[in-house]
Amino acid sequence: MTLRKLLLSFGIAVLCSRCCYSQWLEISNVKLRQESTELAGPKIMIEYDIIDPGISPESPAYVFVRYSRDSGKSWQFIPMDSLRGNGFDIVDKSGHKQIIWWGTSQTSFTDGNQVEVRVRGIAMARIPAGKFVMKSLPGAGRDESKEISPDPDLPLFYMAKNETTISMYTDYLNELGSEAAGWNQRMASENRCGIVRNDDGTYSVKPGRENYPVTYVSWYDATNFLLWCGLRLPSEAECEKTMRGGLYLDGDAAKKKPNPMPERRYPWGDESPGADGVFRCNYDSEDDGFAYSSPVGSFAKFGSPYGICDLAGNVAEWTLDWYSTSYHAGLDGFRMVRGGSWMAVAAACDAITGATQLPLKESSIMGFRGVKGPANSR
Amino acid sequence: MKSLNRREFMKGTVGAAASLTVLSQPRARAAGEKVIIGVMGLGGRGTYLAEKFAQRPDVEIAYLSDPNTRRFARAREVVEEAQDKRPKMVQDFRKILDDPSVDALINATPDHWHGLGAIMACQAGKDVYVEKPMAHNIWEGRKMIEAARKYKRVIQVGMQSRTAPYTGKAKEYIQSGKMGDIYLVRVFNMMQHPKQKETPNQPVPEGFDYDLWCGPAPKLPYNPSRRWLNQWEYSCGPIPGDVVHQLDLARYLMDDIPYPKTVVHTGGVNALTDGRQTPDTQLATFEYGSLTLMMEAALWTPYMKKIPADIRDSDRFPNWPFCSTRIEILGTEGFMYYGRHGAGWQAYDANGELVRSEYGRQADKEHQDNFIDCIRTRKKPNADVEIGHKTALLCHMANISYRVGNLKLEFDPQTETFTNCDKANQYIKREYREPWVVPDNV
Repeated sequence: MTLRKLLLSFGIAVLCSRCCYSQWLEISNVKLRQESTELAGPKIMIEYDIIDPGISPESPAYVFVRYSRDSGKSWQFIPMDSLRGNGFDIVDKSGHKQIIWWGTSQTSFTDGNQVEVRVRGIAMARIPAGKFVMKSLPGAGRDESKEISPDPDLPLFYMAKNETTISMYTDYLNELGSEAAGWNQRMASENRCGIVRNDDGTYSVKPGRENYPVTYVSWYDATNFLLWCGLRLPSEAECEKTMRGGLYLDGDAAKKKPNPMPERRYPWGDESPGADGVFRCNYDSEDDGFAYSSPVGSFAKFGSPYGICDLAGNVAEWTLDWYSTSYHAGLDGFRMVRGGSWMAVAAACDAITGATQLPLKESSIMGFRGVKGPANSR
Repeated sequence: MKSLNRREFMKGTVGAAASLTVLSQPRARAAGEKVIIGVMGLGGRGTYLAEKFAQRPDVEIAYLSDPNTRRFARAREVVEEAQDKRPKMVQDFRKILDDPSVDALINATPDHWHGLGAIMACQAGKDVYVEKPMAHNIWEGRKMIEAARKYKRVIQVGMQSRTAPYTGKAKEYIQSGKMGDIYLVRVFNMMQHPKQKETPNQPVPEGFDYDLWCGPAPKLPYNPSRRWLNQWEYSCGPIPGDVVHQLDLARYLMDDIPYPKTVVHTGGVNALTDGRQTPDTQLATFEYGSLTLMMEAALWTPYMKKIPADIRDSDRFPNWPFCSTRIEILGTEGFMYYGRHGAGWQAYDANGELVRSEYGRQADKEHQDNFIDCIRTRKKPNADVEIGHKTALLCHMANISYRVGNLKLEFDPQTETFTNCDKANQYIKREYREPWVVPDNV
């Protein structure tokens, strides 16, 4: 972890952090200072640079800040509603950013020397509000208790471009500390994950595994990580819309870019993942180049209409949605998983196939990604 | 040994093909040698069983099969994790039967495949672990017994609760006479199911052999929103699918009482009026001479709870009045609450004083141990096919009473038919779809 400690001295700007964890966006020159105000108590100014030519309104960064007031022993998420400025939440322009952190109870530090902040960013894709085609197979695992609209529509939301990586998750574990839940022994598996717990209670990534999707995460692990970030899991409807694209790729408000294939089977179109000897995702094929999972974004050329990678194959992804089979209703609470995996047949990587899993399941073929959007987006 | 191969099977019916097989003496794996198993059906239960058997050091899961290839990954992953060896993935379970190295088949399919799948496995020289209810209809259950005996195969039915030690202690207590004479056993199975919401028929998706999935049942237009559990073609119904455990426990506690003389059913599709065929409310009374067995089951009772996970394997008892899977034993001198899923049992005397309590534990592993042991020793398993048949029979009898208008039916155990209703006898056996026909002579 190279996010360096930020020492806070009252009224004095101190230093920076630079992130080199795979798949956190690079954030540098983080500066922090506390200023008093005449009437509203102290405020904290946070400045940083996020220089990434890929950042745009269609592909913004999601930036969140966590702070410690006990020299890094424990960390808290800074709620977005106590921040002002141009450098938090959805950030759609590269450059120098400034955040004002208000909130007396949080920012009235008696010993500023013990305060640190960590600023992290995730590459997202913007999914404009609008209608899309939803045609999940109920028998393949759709929650039949949901009211499925014949004309489905979703408000604006943002989805992480990549699956959560091993290094991102390891960063999270290290911040939580050695007693944290969220790690299990199977995560040490060389080929299927690669997070080792050290004797001193810290966690390390096995060399070369940084950019692979994290696996062996339960639904609760995934949810806890995303709460830590200020994000949530996607719904099944969001997964399906993101895979196919809405009826208009720029949304129903603009309607300038009609989706040429709104009923496509896979993110790239209708071709089977291995058609014509071209491998479009990581599924159960010996010829796609990967015996297990692949580094996130390995098939970026075959991303969704919004530029989101690995929605098909690689690791299946947890969703928010319950599955209430008649047989198990009331007892267990299965959750839906979407997108197929490196172990799945090609057909299972399509836009409609879901699988059911118990939320405690930790599997080498399941990971997750985050979404920023309305809480009940279906 | 020569097993039934696919080409032979497809030439005609199962019976015609079976006549080509040459039987060997049942194979018994030596101690230390792994038992080789294939799994048929990769839904939730099949995947669970595949994982549990794969975790055993004395078993190798060599095959996983399901007509729907979308189900492969979840099952393969748990098996690979458990045994560190990749199983073969096949859509057609007959490839498992063709492999002479395979000792046993786990059949965790929907009900309509239980009987034929097990019979074909016996014909191919495989032992069988088959999920419950063991057969789709009464006649088919009898044929399963005949196949097991003819081919000298072990068939263990997935009614694991009877293997639990605490269940054995409850039986001992009841049979000791401490509760006096038992005249009434009440079996409960209250659940909460959602309505199904049928959507239009759809094309069969790529990677799904729907014809094979339908097998002996009619090939209805493909409609994934139509729950197979709610259709007579594929199922005995969602209530029998679960209450069969309770009925089996009741039979076991009463020293495996064989056949009831009569059955009468009350109920129907009362709450979940969503186009389903199978009832959401089933109350049935079975008369065994002086003993009466009553079954009360429904799919619309949210306040009735199955045994919570934290009670199943602990020294705790459920809240009996709201325990959806309890059995009540009523004797002339005492009363007993018994709970499935390791919930334990408590006995009361004639004054209503608690006189005996026994905590319980689930017995899935012990039931699986028993199956593997019987494969090696050729003994009859705890839930032998004959036991499975006589328990499933109660579900079939209740269903048939319902299907003929909730009439009281009299049953002849010798012929396993009804003596006072010809219409009821029409439901003793199903119509089989060629070539997936269970022959008269297995």
